[in-house]
Amino acid sequence: MASMQKRLQKELIAIQKEPPPGVSVNPANIGPNLTQWIVDMEGASGTLYEGEHFQLSFKFSPKYPFDSPEVTFIGSNIPIHPHVYSNGHICLSILSEDWSPALSVISVCLSIISMLSSCKEKKRPPDNSLYVKTCSKNPKKTKWWYHDDNV
Amino acid sequence: MDPSSKDRPKDGWNPDLNQDEAIIAQERLIEKEIAEKICLIGAKCDLMRLSSEYPDDDNAFQEKIKDLRKRYQWMRKTRPDGNCFFRAFTFAYFESLLQDEPELTRFITVAEKSKEELISLGFPNFTIEDFHECFYGVLNRIKSGEISTSEQLQAVFNDQGISDYLVVFMRLVTSGHLRSNEEFFSNFIEGEKTVKEFCSHEVEPMYKESDHIHIIALTAATKVPVCINYLDRGQGGKVTVHNFPEGSSPRIHLLYRPGHYDILYLDSIQNGAVNNV
Repeated sequence: MASMQKRLQKELIAIQKEPPPGVSVNPANIGPNLTQWIVDMEGASGTLYEGEHFQLSFKFSPKYPFDSPEVTFIGSNIPIHPHVYSNGHICLSILSEDWSPALSVISVCLSIISMLSSCKEKKRPPDNSLYVKTCSKNPKKTKWWYHDDNV
Repeated sequence: MDPSSKDRPKDGWNPDLNQDEAIIAQERLIEKEIAEKICLIGAKCDLMRLSSEYPDDDNAFQEKIKDLRKRYQWMRKTRPDGNCFFRAFTFAYFESLLQDEPELTRFITVAEKSKEELISLGFPNFTIEDFHECFYGVLNRIKSGEISTSEQLQAVFNDQGISDYLVVFMRLVTSGHLRSNEEFFSNFIEGEKTVKEFCSHEVEPMYKESDHIHIIALTAATKVPVCINYLDRGQGGKVTVHNFPEGSSPRIHLLYRPGHYDILYLDSIQNGAVNNV
């Protein structure tokens, strides 16, 4: 538990000092003991999401950074993207199988920005309605299969 | 819903059950059972205890265990959690450092260089610093004599917070070496994966099992030669022995059984006081 908070404290300082472009963290949106964060994100200019504002929820278990954080889009604007379900769940391998403790909140934000930026057509995943109806509230409880790393 | 619920139809498909959750819940349960039963790094015990794990009439294994006993007297078990190679390697090596100050000094420099290499490869500065700080902290406690016995070291390695940090750092050192020698290692990677992809899928994440390529990279990066004894159902009555790098004289000895690594200790007469229990 202690190592998790020490690590998150460092991460919070780092993201406030040098946030990735379009990313910001309002200190008022950091939950008790640093276990929940809300990160604000702007769609990058020159992409399909330019001018849009998104919010990401990060939840950290006591086993962080060995366990991946639970990351979902929340709020009124969930990006329309082939890897983002309408309930905010994101199909991104570093959020489950390929998570490494060397990654961080910043690297997750960068991956999500890059995932959004490389999108060529705004659409929901093909299995969206079935998934949203049947999935767990926690996306980490989904056994994802990653069919396409290029989007 | 409780996935172990008895209401579940015996072999039919239950539409009310979230299959993913059920699979994950079962995986967690198995992990929990293993964690409760087996320490991250176990106590040193007589190698012959291995033979009780196999039926008496299982000649393939019993013969090989006898063969192994000709060279090794003791073993130390590790928890089978996918990190066992890294944890076994790191424990056995650190244990050897308790008696070897020049090697400890050399290795502190190696770890420092690896940290810089990882940062220059584009790994996030502060996560790398974080792992290195903990790793160096343990090496420093060995240097200062605060950790001076195998039992003390074992206690450190059974503190999951510290132990996993040590494993992560060794995983990163391995990944750094693979990435820095991309051209060479790309020949050993199956399929279409690049070295970088292989590292981010198979080396850096915790709980991913190690293969030859991990061992080659870690032993080359740290310059710590290791001897691995392969105990499996193969023909012949003798364990297969591989030294990494080939032709080296090993500093540490590991036992491999399909999917798992434990630590071996040479016969105490050959190995002097280091191996006193």
